[in-house]
Amino acid sequence: MSQVMSRENLQKWAPVLVLIALILFFSIANPNFMSVRNFARIAMAATPALMISIGITFIIIMGSIDLSMEGAVAVCAVVFATLFLSLGGALDSWAWVALPATLVVGACFGLVNGLVHVKLKIPSFMASLSMGFVGIGLSLLMTGGDRIRVEDPLFRSLLTERVLNFPLMVYFAGLALLVAWFIQSRTRIGRNFYAVGGGEELAHASGLNVNRVRVLGFMIAGAFYALGALFAVARIGIAETATGYNLMFISITSVVVGGTALWGGTGGVWNSLVGVLIVNVIANGMIVIGLPRYVQDGVLGVLVILAVYLSTDRKSLAFVK
Amino acid sequence: MFELQKVDKIFPGVHALKAVDFEIKRGEIVGLVGENGAGKSTLMKVIYGAYQHDGGQVFVDGKTVRFHNPRQAMDMGVGMVFQEQSLIPNLTVMENIFLGFEKQFVNFGVIDWKKMAEAARHQLKKVKLDISPSTTTSQLSFAQRQLVELAKVLTLEERVQGDLVILLDEPTSVLAKDEIKLLFELVRDLRSRASFIFVSHRLDEVIDLSDRIYVLKDGEVVDVVNADEADVDSIQREMVGRNINKEYYREEQQKPYDDTKVLLELESVGNSGKYRDISLKLHAGEVLCLVGTEGSGREAILRTIYGLQRPESGSVSIKGQALKGFSAKCGVEKGVAYVPRERKIEGIVGGMTVFENMTLSQMGNYSRAGVLDVRHERALAREWIEKLSIKASSENADCGNLSGGNQQKVVLAKWRSGGSDIILLDHPTRGLDIGAKEDVYDMVRDMSAAGIGIILVADTLEEAIGLSHTIAVVKDGEIQKWFDCKPGCKPSLYDLIHYMI
Amino acid sequence: MDLEKLKRHFPWITLVVLTLLVGLMDPNFLRPHNLIQLAGDISTLFIMALGITFVIYIGGIDLSAQSVANMTTVLATISLPLFGVWAGVFCIVIGLGFGAVSGFVTTRLKVPSFIATLAVGGLALSVGQYASGQRALYMDATLRDQAFGWMIGTTAGIPHELIIAIILLLLAYFVQNRTTTGRALKAIGAGELAAVASGLKVDQYKIMAFAFSGMFAAIAGLLFSVKLAGGSPTLAEGFLLPAIVAVLVGGTPLTGGVGGVLNTAIGAMIVAVVRTSMLYLEIPATSQQIFFGVVLIAAIALTIDRSKMRIVK
Repeated sequence: MSQVMSRENLQKWAPVLVLIALILFFSIANPNFMSVRNFARIAMAATPALMISIGITFIIIMGSIDLSMEGAVAVCAVVFATLFLSLGGALDSWAWVALPATLVVGACFGLVNGLVHVKLKIPSFMASLSMGFVGIGLSLLMTGGDRIRVEDPLFRSLLTERVLNFPLMVYFAGLALLVAWFIQSRTRIGRNFYAVGGGEELAHASGLNVNRVRVLGFMIAGAFYALGALFAVARIGIAETATGYNLMFISITSVVVGGTALWGGTGGVWNSLVGVLIVNVIANGMIVIGLPRYVQDGVLGVLVILAVYLSTDRKSLAFVK
Repeated sequence: MFELQKVDKIFPGVHALKAVDFEIKRGEIVGLVGENGAGKSTLMKVIYGAYQHDGGQVFVDGKTVRFHNPRQAMDMGVGMVFQEQSLIPNLTVMENIFLGFEKQFVNFGVIDWKKMAEAARHQLKKVKLDISPSTTTSQLSFAQRQLVELAKVLTLEERVQGDLVILLDEPTSVLAKDEIKLLFELVRDLRSRASFIFVSHRLDEVIDLSDRIYVLKDGEVVDVVNADEADVDSIQREMVGRNINKEYYREEQQKPYDDTKVLLELESVGNSGKYRDISLKLHAGEVLCLVGTEGSGREAILRTIYGLQRPESGSVSIKGQALKGFSAKCGVEKGVAYVPRERKIEGIVGGMTVFENMTLSQMGNYSRAGVLDVRHERALAREWIEKLSIKASSENADCGNLSGGNQQKVVLAKWRSGGSDIILLDHPTRGLDIGAKEDVYDMVRDMSAAGIGIILVADTLEEAIGLSHTIAVVKDGEIQKWFDCKPGCKPSLYDLIHYMI
Repeated sequence: MDLEKLKRHFPWITLVVLTLLVGLMDPNFLRPHNLIQLAGDISTLFIMALGITFVIYIGGIDLSAQSVANMTTVLATISLPLFGVWAGVFCIVIGLGFGAVSGFVTTRLKVPSFIATLAVGGLALSVGQYASGQRALYMDATLRDQAFGWMIGTTAGIPHELIIAIILLLLAYFVQNRTTTGRALKAIGAGELAAVASGLKVDQYKIMAFAFSGMFAAIAGLLFSVKLAGGSPTLAEGFLLPAIVAVLVGGTPLTGGVGGVLNTAIGAMIVAVVRTSMLYLEIPATSQQIFFGVVLIAAIALTIDRSKMRIVK
């Protein structure tokens, strides 16, 4: 503890340092970057991705992976919009029921995902990949490929209403982050994720019902995907099959960049917050300093490699897959 | 209070336990000894519920019981302190202590950390370990982890009505001398709370700690001796079923080595934190044994010679040529071979056939322009299966399915067929049964006679003394003492231990 | 018959059963012409899957294949007028290079392949977008036919793409089973530490596996762009996941060391049959994804060999 600058500490804080360095760099490159307005923009863009990243964090802590989020988000978004509109289309009527209902739908989607993974003994990579297809398919079936507009001003106030320059949804996302933190550090299930990720066989030998933990993990992740879907719909006002587009890679990249290792047992939701911010700061910063759109994917790739490179304790790894 | 009567355990093809009678009284410490493969671990697994017995009966306080899983055994007060560290490294100490039994601290899924920490402190006090319950387990030393495991098992005290039986599986293998002393004092103190079954292959420790000792051989209890009447030699004789004598280690086959031909030379080689100032010469036909405690630096020296670790200072030369590059590839090219301790992880590739394993280090010899000559490979494998009498259905058998001894033979065949003349053996007999061990000893002598230089890190001191021409005692990363081990004037165990600790 | 032994044969049994099932619904499906057509259509995807197989075989994953293929369609279209038939070689070398970069990042910088290949995919995407000016490009028909006309068309009713795919399969099979490289890759997948302790240059071989994957992705992209006579940075969109699925369904699990390129051939055919069966079963377009997902779960549940997996993550 005495050595603040120890190797271990440096690695632990590397993602935060990377984030600070990025912010400094972009601020110097273009002073406009360092403004409340721009930070609000980053926060808003990051909100749905943060929810997805929090969800997948729990799965990755267990050493599993979930690739179903694009499907899950599509289903949740479409179910929400359909239900919301059919119940009156305004938050101050019975339509508010659609909000909790969407969370339940997300959890149920996770439940099925988890059951397929655990009961059929299919690795989570493949189980969730398939469930992703199913989710996309379900949303297509419900919408027939159409977009559903959600224009209720009260619901959209998540985006339009601003407190201290940041839209409401950012605060709700912060609240969800705290809930996730509570789950991670205070609840039995949260700690069990770490036990499974740290030593599944040992956890099993100690009488832990690992399968139950896994399924619950996917359910919790599903609920957070649902939150992500709600924020995404609030942000653009449209629910469609493509609502979840690209969220899979962004969220997993964010989690890993934040310092949660893919082999499980380490990291947590705060890491994911940092990771999401890193990815979004990079994306936003490149626009602000005027890099052409087409180089952004490449630059993001290089920076992500750099961020992971800096925050991995390579000495402790026998090999990397 | 805990008793086994005529317990049998049968696996396909193996009668692992034969009518074993075993009894432990309240507050007693019972030793359990036997060679690897004698049935120790099977017996333990039956006791703590990982296996179910096929015949006979198990009694707890006179009542017949049958444990279907370890959890049920725990509920009856039988707990196991594992040899391999069974704590999850990324969790805190208290979480590990109560893993699977958190319910008492949980309200509506929320953990009461204060209550858990309090309870954990209570458990840690039992084992006299003064650490914060919220320490991450990976930050503890091995000795501390061992104590935490013991504390974890002692939570049974609060959960279970009646008496506790605690199995200690090789608890001293990773501990230093003074830590062992502390552990033993603790166990003696705790006998007011629990009975202990102490399993170890260090016979002196077993005699020291236990009240009675069960000697197991070939799945049978061959003797039960009172500790105050026991001595190491007689127990050893019973375990092996014959005198461990010169014949066992093939001492009469030990030929003097050729001291004009230096195969390998290390000159004040050092690697910070692991070892320093190591100088040694290995000659053709010599068996050089590095002796020391776990963590003394023996393995690190082997891995450096093989090229898996680059030394920070000093020089290594092989057959007169100074080594420049350090990689396993370079080592192999120079004729160095490495038989690792973790046979299943580093030695063989499970899922690949016998012939594929044998040529893995020397594919260049069996290919032209990168194209393999499989027929040639198979012929080689058949030749060595014959030569070392490897029990495999054919050269196409999956190496992962062979027995430990046969896997070890495959590893040795891999290196010998490739023409390696410096062979590094890291615990080559670990986990092998007696027959397989003797095969390994034979092979060591054969190789030595063929002019191959061998550096050995042995499983036991007896093995080291029996097999080697030269012994270097390593302590804290330095060579303390050299012993010459000519047949007839070999050093005694005591001579070595004196310099090891 | 031993169930474990039988398990190894599940992938092709699944393929035959699926084919027959669809055949029962509509006998036309089983006409050789139709089946060959089916195989021809899946060729491009299969070639990409073939490359990915090498990476999954060593226990990694390659998510850059689609972007590399996309980039290749652009580069092929641009370089065709400049290099003629050498444009093909040019593209393949570039693909190889991108794969090698992925391999380097994974092995030397110790970035997990999932992230490394994703990032390199981003690079490829940027190159593709830059080179194309973010537009769809078209090949000159005569130039194309001169240089790559042999890639398309049919001989004796067999599409040339299929022939190319089969030649590549045989080549990959040879590399996998008969060369030191293939043997080393198997050892790395099944027991990486033992491979290191046997003195293999594990890092080099791993980089090679990624390079193969990049190369095959480039070939797939080239073929695709020749077929469609053009290139765009999004031309091969939607190829990646089905290609990975083909590898997995074929029986090469993510844990590595088991399966191989023949399995991928079967896996690709399963994907093709499932897709086409939806047309024959007249499943509405909106339900096809669900159907695909459910059949996938069933196929994977049936085909994967769990005996090598101690714990299912």
